[in-house]
Amino acid sequence: MKTDAASTAEATMFSGENQGISGGLSALVQFGRFMLPIVALLAIWELAVKTGMIAADIFPAPSMIFARAMQLLFSTGPEQGMLFRHIGASLYRAIAAFALSILIAIPLGFLLGLAPRIYKWVSPVLSVMLPLPAVAWTPILLVAFGQGDKTIITVCFLGAFFPVLYSTIQGVQSVSRHSIWVVQSMGGTRRHILLNVLLPACLVALISGLKLGMAHSWRTLVAAEMLAALSSGLGYMIFAARSYMDVSTMFVGIALLALIGMLIEYGLFGVLEKKTIRKWHATSKVGGKR
Amino acid sequence: MSQAILNHAPAAGRNKLFDRVCVPIISLGIPLLIWEFLSRSGLINDFLFPSPSQILGVLWGKSGLQFETGILYGHVYASMMRLLWGLFLATVLGTLIGMLIGLTRWGKFIFKPLLSLFMPVPTLAWTPILLLLIGVDNKTTILIVFIAASFEVILNVIAGIENMNVKVFWVARSMGASRLQIFFKVIIPGIMPYLITGMRLGSGYAWRALIAAEMLAASSFGLGFMIYEASEFMDMTTIYGGLFMIALLGFFIENVLMGMLEERTTRKWGVQVER
Repeated sequence: MKTDAASTAEATMFSGENQGISGGLSALVQFGRFMLPIVALLAIWELAVKTGMIAADIFPAPSMIFARAMQLLFSTGPEQGMLFRHIGASLYRAIAAFALSILIAIPLGFLLGLAPRIYKWVSPVLSVMLPLPAVAWTPILLVAFGQGDKTIITVCFLGAFFPVLYSTIQGVQSVSRHSIWVVQSMGGTRRHILLNVLLPACLVALISGLKLGMAHSWRTLVAAEMLAALSSGLGYMIFAARSYMDVSTMFVGIALLALIGMLIEYGLFGVLEKKTIRKWHATSKVGGKR
Repeated sequence: MSQAILNHAPAAGRNKLFDRVCVPIISLGIPLLIWEFLSRSGLINDFLFPSPSQILGVLWGKSGLQFETGILYGHVYASMMRLLWGLFLATVLGTLIGMLIGLTRWGKFIFKPLLSLFMPVPTLAWTPILLLLIGVDNKTTILIVFIAASFEVILNVIAGIENMNVKVFWVARSMGASRLQIFFKVIIPGIMPYLITGMRLGSGYAWRALIAAEMLAASSFGLGFMIYEASEFMDMTTIYGGLFMIALLGFFIENVLMGMLEERTTRKWGVQVER
């Protein structure tokens, strides 16, 4: 979890400075200003490689990486479609783990959030488990399940579980007792309270928990795939490319990991967050990434 | 939190002690006892789930002071050193970059886009590249720690500067403070609480990343290496022992070490800088 201030700093970091409605031209200028340092960095990198200041076989130039990406994307040889297979395998694992964590963490979060007594007794166990990195479970799972999807999905599940659980608990606990009492005194049933009071009230926390959980799942995935994947996945692709000194492929993999992570976080969950916040007027209290 | 106050406002005092000491002991102890019993009686597979007493026994055996048996110290020491070096680098460079972004126009112009370029990359994805560049070495793991912790430091320093009130600058300047004085007497104390928060959050991420990085890239020591090596020998008790140490140290770093630092700085520089 992170402080409010830091998450707003982060929010402005990615939204750029929106100075009202000032037309497409200024947006273009903004974009150009944003891209300039990145382009400059790439140009310096390219030049350094071309002039031989950096050895190309260890640190290939951006143009070589781009060429490799095109080759991986559109080649018709034995490599055809390999990249898509890696991406598909990674996405499948991350999403499966995420779905599992939702299925378990959200009901558990509601239970712990609504029953302070149970929470009191369970929270020591949770706070012991929390500082354990999800990846640290890999060796046990490797012995138990061997390499493969089962191990990777379990590790990612553990990575996504705690953010979702804690956000849910926090969300449920922050619902004011009074609004529950009001609905109760007007004869609302348990179902009414759950669906019409609790769910809308903690939806924002819930969604930022989901966002965080998916981000964790995605970030844990890389390490898990490097340690336990058999033949597919972006993490595996990067790690396998290392043994062939195929640095271009490694950079393609890293760029893809970042790109897909961003698409999920700012595309999917950004839209979801905006929609729910607008509908339920609240602002997110539980923020952060990773 | 708020409902706890509503539920039982009186009768605090003795209950508080009970809640803080007895509840964790009981709620952690009972599952461990059940585990111990199940494992000993053979109801669960004692290869996959060795009993807690066995795990502690292995840990104890490894923690001897002699070199041959006292391996645990070596692992813990290696991991902690990597973490501290990485955190040190992240704090220094992160504060610097955060200040450049927060205080100068050109810093913001240059570093903000680069920051948003590198931030979405999962930290551990850098491991194979670092392995190629540096090889299996302490530097690789230290750099991973650095990458994992620095973004949090940078973001919090920026937040600290953004939350500072301009009037404080005006006051300092109107009383004739030089730029250097403003920097040391206004800006540094102003961002301090945020910096510490950033370090605390960063150390949590860094610890997690370090363990994974050690599994991928450590040469012969480190807790991550210890458990990964043990998994190759199918030595479950050592893995559990390592997990126990990782959880313990992670808790210690994030809550005790950084918590103490946080408390000291907030006591010295006031709680928050929101004026």
